[in-house]
Amino acid sequence: MSGKDDFETDPDQSMVYQIRLKGCLSSKWSKWFDGLTITQGDNDETLITGAVADQAALHGLLKQVRDLGIPLISVKPIK
Amino acid sequence: MRQSRLISNCLLNRGNAIGSILVTKLYIPPLQPKAVLRPQLTKHLNQCKQRKLTLVSASAGYGKTTLISEWVANCKQPVAWLSLDQEHKDAGSFLTYFIAALQTIFKDIGHSLLATLQSPQHPSTDFILTNLLNELTDIPEAFILVLDDYHVIESESVDNILTFFLENMPPQMHLVIATREDPHLPLALLRGRGQLTELRAADLRFSHSEAGEFLNRMLGFELSADKISLLSTRTEGWITGLQLAAISLREHENSSAFIESFTGSHYFVLDYLIEEVLKQQSESIQSFLLYTSILDRMCGSLCDTVLGSPTGTGQKTLEYLEHTNLFIIPLDSERCWYRYHHLFSELLKQRLLQKSAPLAGGLGVAELHIAASEWYEKNDLHIEAFHHATLANDIDRSLRLVQGNGMPLYFRGAVGSVLNWLRTLPGSVMDKKPLLWITYASVSLGSGEISGVEQKLKAAEAALETAVQNKMTRDMTGQIASMRAIVGVTQYNPEIIKTQSLRALKYLSSENLSSRTTSKWTLGQAHLLLKEYSAAKEAYNEAISIGKTSGNVLFSLLARADLGSLQEWDNQLHSAAETYLQILTLVGDQPLPVLCDVHLGLARIFYQWNDMDSALQYADSSIELARLFENTIDRFITCEIFRSHLKLVAGNRDEAASQLAGIARSIQQNNYVHRIPELAAQQVVTLITQGRLEAAAQVAEKHVLPIHAAQVFLARGDTSSALKKLEAFQAGTDTASWNQEQLKAMLLQAIAIFEQGEQDWAVRLMDKVLTMTEPEGFIRIFVDQGIPMCRLLSETAVRGIMPRYINRLITAFKAEKQENEEIQGLIDPLSQREIEVLELIAQGFSNHEIGEKLFLALDTVKGHNRRIFSKLEVKNRTMAIAKARSLTILKPE
Repeated sequence: MSGKDDFETDPDQSMVYQIRLKGCLSSKWSKWFDGLTITQGDNDETLITGAVADQAALHGLLKQVRDLGIPLISVKPIK
Repeated sequence: MRQSRLISNCLLNRGNAIGSILVTKLYIPPLQPKAVLRPQLTKHLNQCKQRKLTLVSASAGYGKTTLISEWVANCKQPVAWLSLDQEHKDAGSFLTYFIAALQTIFKDIGHSLLATLQSPQHPSTDFILTNLLNELTDIPEAFILVLDDYHVIESESVDNILTFFLENMPPQMHLVIATREDPHLPLALLRGRGQLTELRAADLRFSHSEAGEFLNRMLGFELSADKISLLSTRTEGWITGLQLAAISLREHENSSAFIESFTGSHYFVLDYLIEEVLKQQSESIQSFLLYTSILDRMCGSLCDTVLGSPTGTGQKTLEYLEHTNLFIIPLDSERCWYRYHHLFSELLKQRLLQKSAPLAGGLGVAELHIAASEWYEKNDLHIEAFHHATLANDIDRSLRLVQGNGMPLYFRGAVGSVLNWLRTLPGSVMDKKPLLWITYASVSLGSGEISGVEQKLKAAEAALETAVQNKMTRDMTGQIASMRAIVGVTQYNPEIIKTQSLRALKYLSSENLSSRTTSKWTLGQAHLLLKEYSAAKEAYNEAISIGKTSGNVLFSLLARADLGSLQEWDNQLHSAAETYLQILTLVGDQPLPVLCDVHLGLARIFYQWNDMDSALQYADSSIELARLFENTIDRFITCEIFRSHLKLVAGNRDEAASQLAGIARSIQQNNYVHRIPELAAQQVVTLITQGRLEAAAQVAEKHVLPIHAAQVFLARGDTSSALKKLEAFQAGTDTASWNQEQLKAMLLQAIAIFEQGEQDWAVRLMDKVLTMTEPEGFIRIFVDQGIPMCRLLSETAVRGIMPRYINRLITAFKAEKQENEEIQGLIDPLSQREIEVLELIAQGFSNHEIGEKLFLALDTVKGHNRRIFSKLEVKNRTMAIAKARSLTILKPE
């Protein structure tokens, strides 16, 4: 992991994350994901991007993805 | 039906006329008429059911529940089902439902355990699990327990319960877990041992041929292999996707066009299909689906309320949805409760949110939750009402529901939910509402997290400082003090308890009877610790009397129990027994930790009254109760010691001694040092009975037990040493009150003096003791002192002191010491009936008249006369009257 070089790793701090999903979700789902931005990526992928309050909030978000049964490709913090 | 009623009766506060929600969680989902049958998979499951665990782990929508319900419907074994939800995160709640589920197939399983789980203070989880496993081991047949939706649990304590369970499960039991994510159980270990069967997404996915089978054979479409393949590829064999596609297909006249546009779209399968399905419904069905998606479960009247539709069409709509297969699942056989397929409801909720700038005349999400909350409240389902109030983010409503009417929600099985809610509230919101801090502190206190209480009370105080002072803020100040007093009780700190209790009583509103009950009880505790016994009694009595109307059952019970033990200590055996028995009546079948002391108290009282059967019964039940509760664990030592004394008195010396040795070991192992004096005292009594006087003397000296040391001296015939010990003891005690220790000391003193030949003095002492003990019916305190006491009593009776009472005491001696000739040779006491006959003789009535007065046959009266003459060693009526008067059995003329 090269995380330390790229950003502060305080787990309690709000950070911008990008979640990649397989399949297209329309931007109408933004509200469902607490106002995070929903964009289309390449190859029928969806990107959910936005600030997540802390690790607990991130896990909650992943649970929402899980409960939709939509396949998860990656989760990464971005600057 | 009978069974479900049985279960709902066990779960206090959870049943109601609408039909118990509990039962909906235990209902095995019925096979849908057009469900996808998976014969290969069910066959595989059948072959593996001798293993411990079947894990069906896959994302939402893979047909896990349907598969398992198909399998268990045909597996020819008893099957119990538990659909888990948020509520089961708490270990106590999980165990309650776990047992309730098992009761649907074995109705006698775990009844007492279920009752203990319903009481506000649970016994330890280990205790419940061990006992439950023991009960399950006795079941002869193989059976299955299904835990559906295990992913919602996310609780380490529940994971631990299941891990323990899997390790110790009897072989005839098979556990099935359906979940969206792998549970934290020792799966690798189970896999290694060949005890785990797994079905995962890859196994559950439809093959092209299964998709064809489903669409063409089951649903009657006539789709070509190409189209089937397109659909199957687009949905990736995802069952829910295929089912939604099938619903859309049904409504499309041109199936090719639909398939083309569906498979050509890049949108997430469900996102696309849900839109299709909704489009095909009428507007009213669409709103119904969207609005009711906020409900975890639905019944007709609840749907009507949420939709604000007075027409009462809810039930009909639900039946219509079931009929058209719109992802709705019945939750009971009466078709009262339903729920949506989880995934379907998620999708609906998203649609609702999207539209939450409400449709014209429509409703916002929060308003829907409020409506649901109101419906649940009206139907006395307060936990559900609270749940929807929190989802509506209505803090006032949530808080009001938590507070309840005298009985807060967190005392009714919702500790976990309430704590979770409070934890999510930001500090700034809490600071604006000090009552939130107070509630937070109170929940923490109630769930035993004492250490965090003070910090929350401080926050509440700080929040109160900025608030406008009024009647309510004064009451809150009172509540804060009341909780500090309880914390003081756990720390045995009388000063803090007293100060805070008095402060609480000063500030609490006169209507806050619940907190006033608590504060009166804590005040009583302070007086008790300060040895201010009459003040303590007064406080307890007040707590009891306020508690009658406050609904604060727990603290008024504690007050009663403490009052009972004070009365017992004060030798008021009758009042104490009455207080204790009242508690048992009030509590019914609920086991509470406080009952341990109550049963032990009753055991001691009945023992004192020489009712050995009752004493034994209460002693046994006190031990059972003591073992139920972890935090009272050292109380069982006291109960066991008393139980061994009963053994000793029943003549089983060796057994009593070996029991004591066992108790000594467990005291040592657990370091219960403060129980050592009790143990030592009983050891002395046992050693004396065994004739091991040297050892008895050593124990009494080592543990500084003056009364017991005196007993040993008396047994050795060393009366002057015994008297010295007793005088030293009496010098150190408060003679204003007469507890049983002091009574016993006086009796031993009387024996010693009597043996030294000072008969008059000894009888005077006896007179004093008997006067105190007669009204309360003491027997054992005399009988336990042995033959010298019997001699002394006989002498006392001859002097005409309380002959009737002494008659009873001597009868008890005779019954117990049948082998002792000296005792058997004493004048036989007259029976109550014989005394009645004698009184009538003295009044000059003939045998015939006596018979008429007492409704006795003439022969019976004559029989009584013969026995009276023989007991009094006289030959006729005149002599009998004279002798009886000299013995003061009859009043002097």
